[in-house]
Amino acid sequence: MSRASGTASSEKATTSRDVPQLRPRDLLSKDDCLEIFKQVYLARYFDVRLIKEKRRGRLKGTLYSSHNQEAILVGALFGLESNDWISPIHRDMPAFFLKDIKGDWRRPDRFGMSINEVCAQVWGKADSPGRARDNWSHIGSRSKHIIHSTSMLAGTIPVAAGLMYADRLNGGNAVCVTFNGEGSTAQGIFHEAINYAAVHKLSVVTVVENNQWAYGTPMELGCPTSDVADRAKGYGIPGFIADGQDVFDVYDKVMMAVEHARKGNGPSIVECKTFRAYGHGDHDDDRANKYRPQEEIVKGRQRDPIGVCRRTLMALGYLGDDAAELYHAEGKNATEATNEDFPPEVVDFLNEGIEFALQSPLPAAEEAGRWVFKEDN
Amino acid sequence: MSAVANPTQIVKKNYVTAIREALFEEMALNPDMICQGEDIGILGGAFGVTEGLQAEYGASRVIDMPISEACIVGSAVGMALAGKTVMAEMQFIDFISCGFDQIVNMMATYCYRTAGEVNMPVVVRGPAGAYGGGALYHSQMNEAWFCNSPGLKVICPSTPYDAKGLMKAALRDGNPCLFFEIKELYRKREVEELLPEEDYVIQLGKAAVRRSGKDITFVSYGQNVYHCLQAADELAKLGVDAEVIDIRTLVPLDEDTIFTSIAKTSRLIVVNEAPMTCGFAGEIIARVSEKAFEYLDAAPVRITRLDTPVPWVKPLELYVLPSVEKIVAAALKTVKY
Repeated sequence: MSRASGTASSEKATTSRDVPQLRPRDLLSKDDCLEIFKQVYLARYFDVRLIKEKRRGRLKGTLYSSHNQEAILVGALFGLESNDWISPIHRDMPAFFLKDIKGDWRRPDRFGMSINEVCAQVWGKADSPGRARDNWSHIGSRSKHIIHSTSMLAGTIPVAAGLMYADRLNGGNAVCVTFNGEGSTAQGIFHEAINYAAVHKLSVVTVVENNQWAYGTPMELGCPTSDVADRAKGYGIPGFIADGQDVFDVYDKVMMAVEHARKGNGPSIVECKTFRAYGHGDHDDDRANKYRPQEEIVKGRQRDPIGVCRRTLMALGYLGDDAAELYHAEGKNATEATNEDFPPEVVDFLNEGIEFALQSPLPAAEEAGRWVFKEDN
Repeated sequence: MSAVANPTQIVKKNYVTAIREALFEEMALNPDMICQGEDIGILGGAFGVTEGLQAEYGASRVIDMPISEACIVGSAVGMALAGKTVMAEMQFIDFISCGFDQIVNMMATYCYRTAGEVNMPVVVRGPAGAYGGGALYHSQMNEAWFCNSPGLKVICPSTPYDAKGLMKAALRDGNPCLFFEIKELYRKREVEELLPEEDYVIQLGKAAVRRSGKDITFVSYGQNVYHCLQAADELAKLGVDAEVIDIRTLVPLDEDTIFTSIAKTSRLIVVNEAPMTCGFAGEIIARVSEKAFEYLDAAPVRITRLDTPVPWVKPLELYVLPSVEKIVAAALKTVKY
C-alpha cells in the first residue's frame, strides 16, 4: 500500500518541464555533503536530547518529534539563499536553527535563529524570540525571514504567498519554503493559497512532509490520491515527489522547485514521503503504537535518514569504510541513544543552547497584557 | 484622481464617495499601500467603492482576488510582514466568516505572539447591515465576533465625514482594523455632507454626541444612530429630551463620553442591529453597570435585532430589527421607571 514509507519512486518525480541535466546535488562539494551529514545528526540530536530532557524532568510541554524526518528539514533548507523565507510547523523545530546555518553555526549575522533562541523558546523563557508568548514552534522572526505559524495547519501558505507578492513588488527575488503535513492538504486554505500563488506565479514552495499519519488518521482517509503531489496538476504547477528519507533527493527536488520559482515561474508542491517515528506529540506515543500497525512502524522506520545519508557519502567516497563504526545513532530511539552516538560538535552546540535556556529568566507575568496592539516605542 | 472637488463648486458628498476618497488619498500618500479584494479592480467593487482605483494605481497595487476570503486576509498578513499597508475588501461583510481563522488567529494575534516585533497595518473593510432586503447573507452585522477577539480594532462610521476620517486613521493605525461600512448609507442623500478639502483623520476611540439632551441617553453606531435621532425628535414632542451618542469605534471604546452622558441623564438605551445575545449592546451595558451604576435611575435597556437571522421580505426583516417605534416605546417606559 502507498502508506509504506521511504519507498517513494523518485523516478515518478516530476511534472516540471525543465528538468536539469545535472541534479542540484551534483553541484555540491564534498564539504557541503559532509556538512549536510552533520546537520542531519544535529537535527536528530536536538530531538533525542529534548526527549531525554523531558524524561529527566527538566522540560515541560508537548514535544512534536521530527525523528525520522530530519532529511526533509536539512535537504529543504540547505540550498536556500540567506534572505529566503521559510515557515516551519510543529514537527520542524530544528528548522529554526538549521535555516542559513551553513558555515559557522554560531555566526551572529545568520538569517536563522541561534540555538540559544530556539532553546529559550522550548524552555519558555524570556529570551525566546516571542518572549514565550506562544508555545513550541510558534515562533518566527521578521528580521530573519521566518514566518510565525499558528496551530491552524496550512495557515501560513497564504501568508507566504502575500509575502512573495510584496517581495516581488519590492524588487526582491526571494523564495518562501513552507512546511506542511499531508493532513493539512485537506484544509480549504491550502487550496485557496496555492490557487492564488499559481495565478500570480508567486515564489512559494510548498513542502509536504507526508508522514502517512495526520495525528490518528491515516493518509488514505484524508487524501483521495496516493500522491499528494498530484494536487499540483489542478493548479498547473509542478508537483515533485521526493524520498523523504534521502536528504539528497529532498535537496534535489526542493532546489528544482526553488529554481523554478526563482526564474519567475511560480509555485510548486514538493511531497516528501516519510514516516512519523512516534506519536503526533509525545502525549500520543503510547497510543500511536496501538493505532498504527506494528509492521507499518517497523517498515516506516527501517530507512533511517542518517543511514541513507551515510551510505550515499560512502558510495561517493566522501566517507571511509569505517564511517559506520564512528557513531551509532542510526535506528535508535531517543531512549536508546547516548551522547557518544553523535559527533561531539553537535552535542556541544546543543549543550550551549540548553545551558543558555536554563539560566534565561521567565518573562515577567505583567508582560501578558502587553502587545495586544502595537506599542509605540 | 476622481474625487477632488472643484473649489468653485463645492458639493456635498455621500458616504461611499467619502470612503473612496480616503482610499485614493491614502494610496497616493503611501506607495507601500495595497488594495485587494473580489472584483475591486476591473469592476471597481460590487458597490463601486474602488471605482477608478485600479486605473489610477495599477493592477499590481489594486488586486482582483479569487473568491477566497481566507486567502485575501492571509496574503494581506504576508504583505504586512513585507512592510505593506493593506486594505482587504470583503465584498459583503457577511462573507468575512470564510476568512475568520486568518483574521482572529493569524492576523489579530501577530503583534502579541511576536512580542511587538511585527504589527499588522491591515484594514479589512466591507459593506454591512440590514434594512435593505438583503436576506440572511447580505445583511449581517457580525462586529461582536471581532470585538471578542483581542488584537483587532473595530470601527463603524455613520456619516461621510466620519467614514473618511476613520478610514484614513485606520489605514495609518498600524494595527489590524475591521471597518464596517453601512451599505444602506452608501448613497443615501439625507446623510451627504461637505468634506474638508484638507487631509484629516478622526482619532479611533472617540465617540460623537449627535444630539444633546438631559432625560435619557441613547448609545448606538452605524445606521441605528439615525433611528435614535428620529426617536429623539418624536420624544421631544412628548417632552422627553434624549441625548444621542454615536460611539463610532467599538474597540477601542470611548467609555468616558458614555459615562458623562449618563451622569447627566441617568437613563440608558443601547441600540444595535446585531442580535442581542453577546452583542455589543450588552457589552456597553455591562461596562456602565460596573463603572457607572450609581448614575443610573432606571434599568438599562438593549434594543437589538431579535436572536434570529435577518429574514428576507420587508415585514419579516423589519419585525426583527430595531426601529424608531421600538426606541420611542422603550424610552417612554424607561423615563417612567
